Amino acid sequence: MANQGGSQHGIARTSRVRTEAQRQRDLERIASYRVLEDDLRARVKNPRTAYADRASAQHVFDLTTRLLRLNPEYYTVWNIRRRALLVLLPAGPKARRGDCCDRSSCSCLGETQPSHGCPKAGRSGTTADDAGDHTSEENDEEKKQDDEETEKQTRTMLQTELEFTIPLLIESPKCYWIWSYRLWILRQSISRLPVPVARGIWQAELALASKMLTKDRRNFHAWGYRRHVVAQLESDALGGGSMVEAEFQYTEDKIRADLSNFSAWHSRSKLIPRLLEERGADEKARREFFEAELDKIHNALNVGPEDQSLWYYHQYLMLNLTTLPPNNEHTITPTLPIEDRIAFLRNELAEIRDLLEDYDNVKLIYEALIDLTLDLCRLEGKRKPDEEEKENLREWLGKMKELDPMRMGRWRDFEEGLRREWGVEA
Amino acid sequence: MSEDFSDIPEELYLATEAHVKYIQSLDTRKDEYDYWLTEHLRLNGLYWGLTALHLLGHPDALPRADAIDFVLSCQHENGGFGAAPGHDAHMLSTVSAVQILAMLDAFDELEKRGKGKEQVGKYIASLQNRQTGTFAGDEWGEEDTRFLYGAFNALSLLGLLHLVDVDKAVEHIAACANFDGGYGVSPGAESHAGQIFTCVAALTIAGRQDLIDKERLGRWLSERQIAGGGLNGRPEKKEDVCYSWWVLSSLEMIGKTHWINKSQLAAFILRCQDMEKGGISDRPGNMVDVWHTVFGIAGLSLLKYPGLQPVNEVYCMPKSTISRIFGR
Ligand SMILES: [Zn+2]
Repeated sequence: MANQGGSQHGIARTSRVRTEAQRQRDLERIASYRVLEDDLRARVKNPRTAYADRASAQHVFDLTTRLLRLNPEYYTVWNIRRRALLVLLPAGPKARRGDCCDRSSCSCLGETQPSHGCPKAGRSGTTADDAGDHTSEENDEEKKQDDEETEKQTRTMLQTELEFTIPLLIESPKCYWIWSYRLWILRQSISRLPVPVARGIWQAELALASKMLTKDRRNFHAWGYRRHVVAQLESDALGGGSMVEAEFQYTEDKIRADLSNFSAWHSRSKLIPRLLEERGADEKARREFFEAELDKIHNALNVGPEDQSLWYYHQYLMLNLTTLPPNNEHTITPTLPIEDRIAFLRNELAEIRDLLEDYDNVKLIYEALIDLTLDLCRLEGKRKPDEEEKENLREWLGKMKELDPMRMGRWRDFEEGLRREWGVEA
Repeated sequence: MSEDFSDIPEELYLATEAHVKYIQSLDTRKDEYDYWLTEHLRLNGLYWGLTALHLLGHPDALPRADAIDFVLSCQHENGGFGAAPGHDAHMLSTVSAVQILAMLDAFDELEKRGKGKEQVGKYIASLQNRQTGTFAGDEWGEEDTRFLYGAFNALSLLGLLHLVDVDKAVEHIAACANFDGGYGVSPGAESHAGQIFTCVAALTIAGRQDLIDKERLGRWLSERQIAGGGLNGRPEKKEDVCYSWWVLSSLEMIGKTHWINKSQLAAFILRCQDMEKGGISDRPGNMVDVWHTVFGIAGLSLLKYPGLQPVNEVYCMPKSTISRIFGR
């Protein structure tokens, strides 16, 4: 299974022999860790008592704080913390109305687990909804003050939780469980706080995701996390609207800072269909957009033709030309006439060939030239390459074999395909 | 076609004895702080270690009865398994439990002394999001194609795939596909070797390889091999033994392992061994762990490096186990 926790990445191999002093130190650390762990385990062994009242829940909660600081990978302890927190969090106005598990405002997995994240259906069976037992004699003013107090308390507690994970994340940025816990806390804000307040919390989260991506521009978790946070900010539950323009600009900034940031190029390719749709871009605007993207990638390729990231984006743009109706509604220029597609491809062939003048030993250029030539043949009624093209294909394939012998099996398969499908004899 | 490893220097060989000893030593390190910090991976660790031992041809190097007892001691009432006694049930440890019991031919023990196969299947099925088809790791966690693959892996071994909506899950995987032929962790996410493995393997289990753009995917995967012979997980990243396995096994599933240089990859994995004390690391000269040890050995097995039992690329388990269970 793909679970990287606990594995060693990038840590230099050292002598595995410990001195006696080191061994003693280990034994001491083990002893204090286990005391803590045993204490917590004994308490939660019986869930009925562990979360029976605020005092018990608080005790359990405090133990998880200490244990998670020592070991943030301990997923069971994160779960225990959630259970305790569900007891400690005040039942807010939203929760009191009974819509704390409102599916529409909760992207969680509630569908499959009715008890998920709902304080009234906490797994401990005992929850903190006594706060909801207000009698009708209370006047509205008092109720309003109560609500404000509850909201303030909830907000403080959720924010404290978010802050608790920060030092842990800084130390273990790839620890899945910490991210997962954070998202759970953030979801609590949606179900328990007024929309503007919850929105503020999620907005701060976007800032955090940006910060993580400044530190490690290709952190896989952080990019995925960012997408998730943006989707939530755009949702009705947070009173949001489209952020596609801002996110597109974000990829622009990231690419400007570093051309070979494939994560940013990828994100860009995923945003474009929505961007154009929301702009209501007409045929002309779409064509201009496509041309601007082509210019951008040409400029980038001119300085970094060895960069795979750039070529992947180039392939994405070429797919826009070669994907024909009716299955191309998500492309940039779905209605582009076939003659124009052909013209673009011919132009592209010339552009990429120009690169050879400065760089004649870059495999990726030859690969692109072969792709473009065959794309052209396909678009022109799946014709066979003419003599000149055949000569080029043979030459470029020869260059690929010479420059990249590591993938010889692939070039041989390709050569065979050229012969069989396109009539190009070796 | 037998593989040609003749260009690998003689001093690079598979340190079988050292690896067996290393794996045997893993559960005797109770005086090391790390042993306690990694308890949340105990069941996964047993699967990794046991698989490595089976592939090394030493299936009995860990006592069978102890292993079964330990696995069963991790099971919860709801059928799921935690990483160790006292740990909450989770998809990842449940899959490891099923894989271990499969390798040890011990499903009957699960019926007799555990909660039974059906209950395990029900637990896994309860983690499917019936709207989108994908799976969560547990009742709290996020959804991820890793969990979808895990569910398919374990359920198919148990013969209980019918408990979940396979078509919906397949639809979800299709939505995770990218223009480069690869797959991401969720729709919209960038292609990543680990996620490609999970998606391609899940599609293979579901009998839906027709959805894979093999040509494009093969190109992307084969570009993962970089100078030095190792494979990376994404463009412009460093090579790593665990990514080498995911890329290689994915290439195997789509019939294109010959698109990379096998001998150079074998040499890279061999260079990551600790020849003296056993174990394999992510890159040469780094700390070894059981995770990279199993994926290194599985990689060598898939490359048909001599002295190893053949591995099944979809399950990362011995071929002999898979053919015993599926009768093929
Ligand atoms: Zn690794």
